[in-house]
Amino acid sequence: MTTTLSVAGPRPRPGAVDRPRVLLAPVTITPSKPLTPSHLKGLLWTDVMYRATRPLADVAYRYSHTTYHATEQTLGFWEFLDRSRGATDYGDLTEERIGELYVAFRAAERAPAQALLPYAEAVERGWVHPVSTRVLELWSGHYAALGLHDPGLLRHQPPGLGLEAVLDRLTALGMCLDQREVGGPVYLDLTRFGLPLRRLVTADGRPNYLACALRELIPLAPDFDELVLLYDHELDSDYQQLERVLSALGPRVRRVSVGRVPIEGRIRSARQGGWQGLHAGTLIDAARAEHHEDAVRLGMRLYFIAVLGPGWQQSFRSDLLLQYVRRAARLLDEAGPATDRPTLSDRLARHRKDHVYVDPYRLTSRLLGRRGAAPAEDLLRGVFL
Amino acid sequence: MSATAAPMTQDCLRAREAMRIRAARPDLAARHDLSSYDGLTAARSDITAEGDTGSSVAVVLRSFDLARWVRDTCVFALGVEPRQAADWRTSFTRTVFLAGNPEQLRERFRFAHTAADGSAAWTAPGPAARTASLRRLLKTFDAPARLPDRPDTLVEIPPGPRPPGRPRARRDLYVATAECTISEALVHVNHVLAEAVLDGHIAPGDHLVVHQVPRIVGAPARLVTVRVTTEKHLPGRLKAAAGLTEEARVA
Repeated sequence: MTTTLSVAGPRPRPGAVDRPRVLLAPVTITPSKPLTPSHLKGLLWTDVMYRATRPLADVAYRYSHTTYHATEQTLGFWEFLDRSRGATDYGDLTEERIGELYVAFRAAERAPAQALLPYAEAVERGWVHPVSTRVLELWSGHYAALGLHDPGLLRHQPPGLGLEAVLDRLTALGMCLDQREVGGPVYLDLTRFGLPLRRLVTADGRPNYLACALRELIPLAPDFDELVLLYDHELDSDYQQLERVLSALGPRVRRVSVGRVPIEGRIRSARQGGWQGLHAGTLIDAARAEHHEDAVRLGMRLYFIAVLGPGWQQSFRSDLLLQYVRRAARLLDEAGPATDRPTLSDRLARHRKDHVYVDPYRLTSRLLGRRGAAPAEDLLRGVFL
Repeated sequence: MSATAAPMTQDCLRAREAMRIRAARPDLAARHDLSSYDGLTAARSDITAEGDTGSSVAVVLRSFDLARWVRDTCVFALGVEPRQAADWRTSFTRTVFLAGNPEQLRERFRFAHTAADGSAAWTAPGPAARTASLRRLLKTFDAPARLPDRPDTLVEIPPGPRPPGRPRARRDLYVATAECTISEALVHVNHVLAEAVLDGHIAPGDHLVVHQVPRIVGAPARLVTVRVTTEKHLPGRLKAAAGLTEEARVA
């Protein structure tokens, strides 16, 4: 068998202008629970990157829940709810209550693959279970409160390729090992690069989130000069694989791993619960009880980006978060017009290395520098509020 | 080694398994009463407990076709150096099957034999540590499907240097398909073929006819090599999972 590894340059575009094209593709959060501090950190990080890079490049922010509904953790949750609860009105459930149901699902026995098929088929046609619609509506409210760009939480955004089509593309790239003929799984095969075989579809036919990511990103990748993947550091090995595949399609791929936020010294998975009083809704309410909207928006960004940083060493502290909301209120009072300074684009462009995207950590940390002059209004308005 | 003409009774299966263990490991034969089911089970668990200590082969499989794989397994085994063959035989021709594409691996790993169509590759027998990095990169070959039905198939072992005075032979290879996945069939047939080659029962230029039968019951023919395994649903009983018949001259 011969394999081809085509390394193409980015696809040319008609009427090309000089601005580089950047795709931001953060890992998505399963809409089945409240947004935890770890989730908030990733969302704020991505939002600052998006808004700070936009003056410098044509930036697309791809964040499609449609793509990842097809994973077992979402389909299984929906099937579990319908099997165990039947007809239910989810329209007035809180995120905490839905999160409790999700924890119960993760503790229960897995349903057979056959039971998930009707859900998997419906997702391809744009159907969403009302429990996840409810969660996404609540999240949309948090996005609005925090001034986060909404990348289409409630929009139907199907991936560009179906599962079979993406496996064909991978086969053409010499990166697929398909053993369904003997009843086995399908693997992503990057062993020629020294990366271990990674399963994409289980023997009983369930695609995982990496398969979904490939369905979405393979058709998009050739249209960009730079592709930025944002993810939890725990997913590092999968994202190394993703980088290999997408690099072969043209763009320069940048992996930006953002550490999770430990709660009392422990990094917990949302499947274990433990978010009581520590999720987006309650944190926003607590901050807004004492401060105005802009201070909350800026304070959240200062804390989750500049204070916590890219690592995962510091445990979450509500008191420290509120302290930075107060600090944000003072910064906003001091802010003035950007007279006698370089243009906003030039000031933003400093916070880069050899990449096109602006580094949110470097940019946000500058606001806390002692030597720094009062922050400029255009920067705050454009990026942080 | 004497072949069996009698029907595959429990006595006969126990005797064949005892013979196999005695030939490879006389020390185990001395430790256990190999005439009883319990003694055989104890000897087998000793072998399992030895884990990765002996000599083993790693087979990388991209795809699987029984007849093609039978042919390549024989070609591989015929090419094993005598010294390596002796150690591998002592380890009961221990073999691990891995999912992988030999084409993707040839720059990083050395294989003793690769199928012409790239569907499979074999490492030379040796200590398990030698294949550790290969095993880390790949996954166990997971083939829970049944063997696809197929007519009896003639497999021609490619010509090569033959033992002096040994005429070309034709043998029948029986593979029991009932209650057997492809993963299990691989293990059974691999042991039969590897041991038959190392014991001189298969030589270059020979012909094998592969027969898939639900079970190897009665006495289809005299078997020179037989793979004995336990019955899944009949505790304390053995069955033949695969077997190779005595030779017939190739006309």
